[in-house]
Amino acid sequence: MSRASSASTLAFVIASALSVAPIGCAREIPLKVQAAQAADLVPQDTVLQDTSHKEPPRMVPPEVYMRTYLTLFGGLSPLDAQKKARGGDGGNVFDSWNDYIASLGFPDYHVDIPRQMQTNALMVATFERLGVALCDRAVEHDLKSKIPVPVASRVIFAFDVPKGSTLPEPEFLPRYDVLHRTFLGYPARLGPDGRSRRFYALYTEIVKDQASALKAGQKLRFAPEEEGWAAVCYALVRHPEFHLY
Amino acid sequence: MTTRRTFLKVLGATALATASLGRTKQAWADVAALSAGGNDGEFFLFIIAAGGWDVTLWADPRNESVGIINPASTDNTDTAPLKKWVDAPLLNGGKSFQLVRAKGDKLVFGPGIGALAEMGDRLTLVNGLSMNTVAHPDGQAYSATGRHLQGGRVAASSIDTMVANEMGKEQLLPAVSVRFPSSFVGENLDRRVVPLVLADVGTISRTLTRAQMFEPAQTRDRVTAMLSEEANDLASRSAYPDTLRGMDLQYQALRRMLGGNLLEVFSAEALRKNHPDLDYKARFAGGSAINAAFAVEAMKKNLVRSVSFAISGFDTHGNNYRTQAQLQQETFGLIADTLKLLDAAPHPTKTGKKLSDHTHIMIMSDFCRTPQINLGGGRDHYPNNSSLIISPRFRRNFSFGKTDAEQLLPAPAKKFADGERAISPPDLLATFVHAFGVNPRVYLRDGEVVPELLAS
Repeated sequence: MSRASSASTLAFVIASALSVAPIGCAREIPLKVQAAQAADLVPQDTVLQDTSHKEPPRMVPPEVYMRTYLTLFGGLSPLDAQKKARGGDGGNVFDSWNDYIASLGFPDYHVDIPRQMQTNALMVATFERLGVALCDRAVEHDLKSKIPVPVASRVIFAFDVPKGSTLPEPEFLPRYDVLHRTFLGYPARLGPDGRSRRFYALYTEIVKDQASALKAGQKLRFAPEEEGWAAVCYALVRHPEFHLY
Repeated sequence: MTTRRTFLKVLGATALATASLGRTKQAWADVAALSAGGNDGEFFLFIIAAGGWDVTLWADPRNESVGIINPASTDNTDTAPLKKWVDAPLLNGGKSFQLVRAKGDKLVFGPGIGALAEMGDRLTLVNGLSMNTVAHPDGQAYSATGRHLQGGRVAASSIDTMVANEMGKEQLLPAVSVRFPSSFVGENLDRRVVPLVLADVGTISRTLTRAQMFEPAQTRDRVTAMLSEEANDLASRSAYPDTLRGMDLQYQALRRMLGGNLLEVFSAEALRKNHPDLDYKARFAGGSAINAAFAVEAMKKNLVRSVSFAISGFDTHGNNYRTQAQLQQETFGLIADTLKLLDAAPHPTKTGKKLSDHTHIMIMSDFCRTPQINLGGGRDHYPNNSSLIISPRFRRNFSFGKTDAEQLLPAPAKKFADGERAISPPDLLATFVHAFGVNPRVYLRDGEVVPELLAS
């Protein structure tokens, strides 16, 4: 009780002293703005964003690969795609999806095989088998159909393919760009230096190979220029960028 | 805080480790020579008895009702097809089996061992493996990798990946895995050795089949060569080049696979024709005979480093337990037949040597089965296990580890650096890789080399 009363007495004394003392603010100093040379503002609110991957490229899950593959094949169901890939010609282009479940990396719970997280040599072989099936059947559909398929209705080769000649590079590039966008999802000009040249070299070599194989009497269904485009197609559908992300 | 007890424990362990180091000094000198090139031409075969086998029928035979143990008897087992089953009376009525003494006279088995008993002088048996699990995926992962699963994920590379990474990078097919719990996890692994996981060996020939009517083989090869360049080019631009370099190597491997004659060699039909002695029509293990034929053929042609496969059907919780012994007999019969083929095959690179002189076989399982028979007439999961090794690098005609007499649980096998305890899969795997001059710590977090298991 006595402590409380002494504290209130002290507060009263301080308040009285302050009321007697002269109180005031410091004098205001007028601002003087000095003229300076005009200059561009330095951007200070821009943060550089590092968009590079922070982990190694991963394998595209087999479900995604499969869905993409079916979409490229014209949006078919797996069984329809299987039927179309096998064809009726006994060409042994494809057999059945069941043969590739494990080698594509799918988990197969029926036989306790877990999901594969990395590519392996046999998976790469499977990608080739499936890629060749897709592209060869697409050439048959888009370029070799008895009734010509309009460009807009084509599955893969949405451009005209002049018959009987190897295209010069300037004519090759826009067509290659169509395939590059289809499979890798971006324009060919944004790809690494040298890729377009590499693909053009592949195209010309294969056109030449096919022509000499046909000349040598080998029974092959595709004309040289058709095979050239088929090869570009399955080089893209088997490309590392198609399988990794 | 370090207590006096902890201090003494560490001191003891250090002294023990030093002693065992001295003991294994010679062994290390031997394996150092091996790692300097002495492992060229070694082949590996890993087999998993998927589902969990009953060790009381073969490795750790029990033919008496002791403690909680209900032995196999004529009441719960179909004995007619069993070649090594000879009736022995049980105390409380019924008939169990007589123990089977294997060739070499040191190892004793149950009737499940079948024809492999005749090769007892080549076997190294490990009993009382402490599993610490009764879940199939975890048991398989623990047996094959030495680590338990982590939230369902495999935590380490499997044994076939380990040996392929050490000794098989240059092989066309470093590790072929047919339904084996193979995994490729960890650092310092070469992507060439990612196990080729298959549902059956016929997949190889089907995957390598190519249509001939559209383009010549040379065309496909040109495309693969260009993709190899592309992968290499992308790798040189990437901050993480390993995956892309791996793809480059895989494109190169594909070119070699398609360039060789693999298609004809590895079709199921060709394998059956080349190895007619294997029993492809056996009731339970007949389907796996084709995998053994593939292993022998691929080793003969020096294409693989490791082949691993599973033989399934061991998970016998109910009435199907009646045929567990027959399944074991067929499994070990298949291994005996495979050994005979390896004996007859010349080594592909070592003149005058047999393939069996340089082939190392390890047979494992998820875990074992309960010593009690359940109400359904079967046996459930039990955290004990056995393993069998057939390798010139291991001490033959020898058994290591034990279980207790009444409960079939793993019993202390020896004094390890961390004290007296039972042997466990990491110890066995560490010993296995050590036998080839590989430092186990590169691949295995746990496990201690057991020098007693190694050939002197």
